[in-house]
Amino acid sequence: MTCSVNTKGSRTLLDLCPATFLPALRGRAFWIGLGLAGLLLSPDPLQAAPSPIQSDFADDAVVATLPDTPPIPEQLPTTSTDLADRVQNLISQARSTGDPRYLGYAERLFQRWPESSLNDRLLVLRATLSQSLHRFEQAREDLTVVLERSRNRQHRIQARLTLANLETVRGRYAEAQHHCYQLALDYPGLIAESCSAQVAARTGDPEAAYRALETRLANSDAKRPTARLWAEGTLGDIAAQLGREAAARHWRDVLSASPSDLYIRAQLADWHLQRGHYREVVALTESYEQVDSLAVIRAIAMHRSQHPEQDALTQQLRERFSEARWRGALLHQRDYARFLLDVEGRPEQALEHAWDNWQSQREPLDTRLLLRSAQAAGNRDTLAFLRQWLEQYGQTDARYPEVAS
Amino acid sequence: MTGLRLWAPWLLLLAFLSQSGTALAHKASDSFIYLDSDAGELRIDVALRDLALLVPLDQNQDRQITGREVRNQRPIITRTVENGLELSAESGVCRLQGLEWGLSRHSDGRYAAARYRIVCPDGDDPGQLQYSLLFDQDSLHRGLVRITSDSGSTLAVLSPDRNTLPLTSGSSRPLETFAAFLVEGVVHLLIGLDHILFLLVLVLPVSLMAPETGSDTIRSSIVRLAGIVTAFTVAHSITLALAALNLVTLPIAWVETVIALSIAVAAVNVIWPVLGRKTWKLAFAFGLIHGFGFASVLGDLTSGVSDMAVALAGFNLGVELGQLGLLVLGFPVLCLFSRWRLYQRAIVPAILLAVVGTSLVWAAERAAFI
Repeated sequence: MTCSVNTKGSRTLLDLCPATFLPALRGRAFWIGLGLAGLLLSPDPLQAAPSPIQSDFADDAVVATLPDTPPIPEQLPTTSTDLADRVQNLISQARSTGDPRYLGYAERLFQRWPESSLNDRLLVLRATLSQSLHRFEQAREDLTVVLERSRNRQHRIQARLTLANLETVRGRYAEAQHHCYQLALDYPGLIAESCSAQVAARTGDPEAAYRALETRLANSDAKRPTARLWAEGTLGDIAAQLGREAAARHWRDVLSASPSDLYIRAQLADWHLQRGHYREVVALTESYEQVDSLAVIRAIAMHRSQHPEQDALTQQLRERFSEARWRGALLHQRDYARFLLDVEGRPEQALEHAWDNWQSQREPLDTRLLLRSAQAAGNRDTLAFLRQWLEQYGQTDARYPEVAS
Repeated sequence: MTGLRLWAPWLLLLAFLSQSGTALAHKASDSFIYLDSDAGELRIDVALRDLALLVPLDQNQDRQITGREVRNQRPIITRTVENGLELSAESGVCRLQGLEWGLSRHSDGRYAAARYRIVCPDGDDPGQLQYSLLFDQDSLHRGLVRITSDSGSTLAVLSPDRNTLPLTSGSSRPLETFAAFLVEGVVHLLIGLDHILFLLVLVLPVSLMAPETGSDTIRSSIVRLAGIVTAFTVAHSITLALAALNLVTLPIAWVETVIALSIAVAAVNVIWPVLGRKTWKLAFAFGLIHGFGFASVLGDLTSGVSDMAVALAGFNLGVELGQLGLLVLGFPVLCLFSRWRLYQRAIVPAILLAVVGTSLVWAAERAAFI
């Protein structure tokens, strides 16, 4: 019997050969190293030559598909209302497609509009835009102006709700709680209750928050789907935090009413991923490969279930992230960190990006990503720091890896 | 109540927006500009999707762009793209002479691509590149530039705020890059416990020989030591260069696992020389894999660094300096200890056992990522 040193597909190099055959390796040690060196050649797209220019493309081939929306008109809207409608429309498209181009179009419209004639509605919209681009300070500034000066209740409520969410995402729970409280004074109802429940859940009281909001939703006669969906989405978040199967049901309800809600879709896909329901993950993320968060979750599910398409998607993501790094965009930190951790198996690099991401957003999935990266990289300082942070707010989450030790 | 109903849709939008406010990420709008300064050529790729904002590509309004539609609009496409791009030299604006035209592919689909020869007045080299395509439509649009020359490649990004790029080659930069990477190399060796442990187990047997072999022990020890260190250095320099220049890339989880295993194997080999007593061969073989480990660190440091060759040289020299410093300080100490029996009989085996244990734990942890 000869001992074959198979360098491809084996977990380790030497455990294939029983120890007694090891002396036979004596002269081969060099070749083992060299054999490994030949394994898996894959060029970095940043350094690689660009794809060739193809001149003989077929006339009938469809080479690009444009989005269903009409192209943006050349001229600037003449009234604030027209501008606001257009911006709102663009932000809404950015939200449902995940495509940042629409945010760029919207920002360009703002840049061409005189700053002095921004009314309250436009300020709220600009703040929403800033928040999407992670410019939290600017968003906060615009919203504060609206809260201070606006006599229009609708705009104040809008500003308050946006601010409450911004602070929650940032992990500034005292501020968030304050805004939820103010929101309840201005506009009592399911949305304000959801706001408070979310903050209460993140600060040590998920069980009571869940029960209260669930009862409130059941007893509510609110006909507006907005408020019900809002509460349903929040219940999903809190249920997931408690590790309850009900999370999936809440999220599915929201998703069936609003299939283009990428946030909820990503939450649900992540939930299934954690439970090893890879087929559900692949189904949920089907045709959403352009959205990084969903594409990364899909790639992890494919990777773990040895899906035949895993290599193609991983390669595509690698190229996309390397273009994003070239561009220097920070919007991709979370997804990139997750990709590094769960697909590439590079915990140190994942930790770096997860840490940067956590500086701007501290949702449970961000915190979990940072905890997992720190654990995988064996970084005790970060773990200790996070534990202290979680303790400070009494935040617990069934999705966090063991943080007690 | 009617007032509330009226603004419900507006609330719907913003409510969900704020909830999902930061979850967005998608390939943004980028054009790719490749400048080959040696050949005096430029290539620009613009996404068809973006081009459709400027050029009526979709003539039949069916939201589908066919090859024919692109071909029909070729004159307007080239004019538009060329208007968004300006190369100039001291002597004046340079002319772009078309060499190739067609479609190309990037991570998010098809792009219109064109390659040009750059012709500047008086045969000068272009001194700056200005780019303004699509900035008036999309504030988040960027021109991603890669400048290639014989000394390496540089990456740059052009944005509405910074739409001009000087092309005159920097003079003092390489030295700075070299020095910075030299330091990184030293630091990485000193904080990278796995490379230190590997060196330790390679060097231990040499230090033990000293009391056994009598008279010109120091001389022969140093020769052996030099052999081992040279073999390790040559091997990891080879693979570090191969990986850093992107000629060979290995999955990092594999590399790190094998590095951990290599330490265990080398430690076992001290007591039970299954891989032979020629330690330099072992140092060479496993040095190859350690080179990939160094390369992964270097790769993380160099995204955006232009002079890859300079960075590589600095980093590699830094690693060698760190290694040499460690040996100069550590080896005499080990030799001194080796005159002590307890050290030979108990401490060395204990060290080796601890090293095997540690590295196997690492290997198991790292293998989990394969």
